[in-house]
Amino acid sequence: MAVLKKIFLGLLIVFVILQFIRPERNINSGISANDLTKTIDVPDNVQAILKNSCYDCHSNNTRYPWYMNIQPMGWIMANHVNAGKKDLNFSEFGNYTLRRQKNKLRGIEESIEKDYMPVYSYTILHADAKLNDAEKKIIVDWASAAQDSLERKN
Amino acid sequence: MKNLITICALAITSLAACNNDKQTTTAENKVITDSALNSTFGTASAAGDNTAASMKDMVGQYLQIKNALVNDNGEEAATAGNAFVASMGKMEKTTMAPEKVKIWEDLSESAKEMAGHIGMNHGKIDHQREHFDMLSKDMYDMVTAFGTDQTLYVAHCPMFNKNKGADWLSETKEIKNPYYGKEMLTCGKIKEEITQ
Repeated sequence: MAVLKKIFLGLLIVFVILQFIRPERNINSGISANDLTKTIDVPDNVQAILKNSCYDCHSNNTRYPWYMNIQPMGWIMANHVNAGKKDLNFSEFGNYTLRRQKNKLRGIEESIEKDYMPVYSYTILHADAKLNDAEKKIIVDWASAAQDSLERKN
Repeated sequence: MKNLITICALAITSLAACNNDKQTTTAENKVITDSALNSTFGTASAAGDNTAASMKDMVGQYLQIKNALVNDNGEEAATAGNAFVASMGKMEKTTMAPEKVKIWEDLSESAKEMAGHIGMNHGKIDHQREHFDMLSKDMYDMVTAFGTDQTLYVAHCPMFNKNKGADWLSETKEIKNPYYGKEMLTCGKIKEEITQ
């Protein structure tokens, strides 16, 4: 019993210490000058869905729920955000070459259509980020039309 | 109380040990990166203009990806995709004409990403094919800008990407469709020939 108590106490102390090691937060003030919305035409309804279901991991601004203050939850989230931003960062969309902008839109179309995104490990904690069929169609149609308009620009 | 202190000390040392581990790994990574950089740099300066050699490698690896997809083999496509990314890193910009540098910069980031994703998604051949379509566009521009030492044919598949159609480059005139594999092997037609 005494051993168990020691182990428990040890774990507790480790847990407490972990709380002091916090990942850097992905928060930047204002809308980036290179934001998607400043680069191509994004209707309000599309913007609302993107902001709610995609921007947490795919932009320079994450909305953090309270439990992200508890480690290791915060670290898991930080990993997600870093990986997400590397693949697609809406805050930097204007910095992509035209070729990549088209590719990214095509990627959005495919990921939503085939349910690759939003990822399960994210929606399990953010149920409100899940997309219903109507919302999916809005995003897919927009991404497809936006590719065509960029194609004409070329 | 004495016990508590021992536990505390243990916890802190174990945590410190964790941190040490992390540092070692980072240091090792750094060494690898540095030596990788050196070797890239070294080869480039020794070989001078390596554009033709790198292009030959990339065309070869692109065709390997293509043929793997024709055979519905996602594993092989992934291996070739990763090799393609490695060859891209050997392309030396300093010896390129300024207008070529511009072309290279425009397409290389995209091509690297596409080939990289083909490399990562060996279990998802559908997804690899989407990336192969985009890589084929980059490859066409790359070959027309930097040349090829073998004749290539541009083939067109009208159905892929929701009937928007997709092209691919091939070493032969015979149609073997990488977008559908054996499902629709001979669908498509040659629309252009790129001579060396």
